[in-house]
Amino acid sequence: MIYFHQVNKYYGDFHVLKDINLTINQGEVVVIIGPSGSGKSTLVRCINRLETISSGELIVDGVKVNDKGVNINELRRNIGMVFQHFNLYPHMTVLQNITLAPRKVLGMSEKEANEIAMYYLEKVGIPDKANAYPSALSGGQQQRVAIARGLAMKPKIMLFDEPTSALDPETIGEVLDVMKQLAKEGMTMVVVTHEMGFAREVADRIVFMDQGRILEEAPPEEFFAAPKEERARVFLSRILNH
Amino acid sequence: MLRFSILVEHWDLYMQGFGHTIKASVLALIGSLALGTIIAIFRIAPIRPLNWVGTAYVEFIRNIPLVLIVFVFFMGLPAVGIRFDSFTAGTLGLMVYTAAFIAEAIRSGIQAVPKGQMEAARSSGLTYLQAMRYVILPQAVKIVIPPLGNQFINLVKNSSVLGVIAGLDLMYYGDLISSKTFVTFDVYIFVALFYLVLTIPLSLGVGYLERRLLKAR
Repeated sequence: MIYFHQVNKYYGDFHVLKDINLTINQGEVVVIIGPSGSGKSTLVRCINRLETISSGELIVDGVKVNDKGVNINELRRNIGMVFQHFNLYPHMTVLQNITLAPRKVLGMSEKEANEIAMYYLEKVGIPDKANAYPSALSGGQQQRVAIARGLAMKPKIMLFDEPTSALDPETIGEVLDVMKQLAKEGMTMVVVTHEMGFAREVADRIVFMDQGRILEEAPPEEFFAAPKEERARVFLSRILNH
Repeated sequence: MLRFSILVEHWDLYMQGFGHTIKASVLALIGSLALGTIIAIFRIAPIRPLNWVGTAYVEFIRNIPLVLIVFVFFMGLPAVGIRFDSFTAGTLGLMVYTAAFIAEAIRSGIQAVPKGQMEAARSSGLTYLQAMRYVILPQAVKIVIPPLGNQFINLVKNSSVLGVIAGLDLMYYGDLISSKTFVTFDVYIFVALFYLVLTIPLSLGVGYLERRLLKAR
């Protein structure tokens, strides 16, 4: 589904991604962890070309993402994305936030789009907020709306870029629950997070990154029990024992 | 004491000028809003050559005097066979000039919308133009209203440039009445009052909109 081969990326002189090789299969949940500045977010943002790669090959859903002739909008409608800061449209209601892309990109009628939006709002547990504006919602509710917005396009892949980092500790759980449910239903997911509990419980595979490199890739049982890399061991001991 | 007889006796002329000033202002306002929006999008679109065109327009136009631009339309273009009457030439010059300032106001408004909004819109599959239309511009409008209001007020006052090329506006008729009556002070005080009749409500209206939009957030 997603295939990185020898991918490198530079910001000017700064080498953000170094020789990335990674394959993510359909239905897999891959959690990317690592210290800040390790390139996790950049890696995820390359998948839907919010960032371009400098060299190497990146194939998503059978499409070479950085080829000149690629219709990027066509590819993006199959990839949902959830951001750290939600990025809901503040001038639109929850319902309008969710229906915008289905209507304008997929050409759905308003009625049809509203039905789909309500279906996903039920799913994330806040159908009663359909007509509220984002500013009236808590962080956790906003992020659940953002997930519903992504799902309403019926994507093949969902990307999560630190979806709980900007949330109150109290509301993190409700967002993780929605994500767990999604994983159970077989969605292909790439998740950047610091939530180790979530990673351990839900991930099919953990990818550990540091300084732009993938240092380790392993199933969670294996990774959390005995990380092979010293850097990963240090990282885990810091994050788990504080 | 102000001689109101001047105003009464020349009411028709004042009204002629007032009407033309309103007409020139409204036309230039609509035109410069449209042109300014296009130039602003040129400046920020992810297409280099368009950026250059937009930047060149803004830097060139806003750094030469308005009177000169109006002269180009009135006396320069006839040299290449394009002829406008004085009112049209003045209004076009005013529009082209104001568009540069409006473009800058709109550009900074668009750039004040957080980057994540464009990213969210684009990653859902919307095209750049759709993202602009449905997500970015509606938010930018709120940010842009106060500076835009200032530009509109400037535009009304700047329309007095039409007087320089006999553009039938308030200033032109003021000159006319003054040369007929040999009165200067009173004549131009009334001209000023007519401008205030336009600009003060505009100023209040912008303030009102600003407060309302602030509440809507």
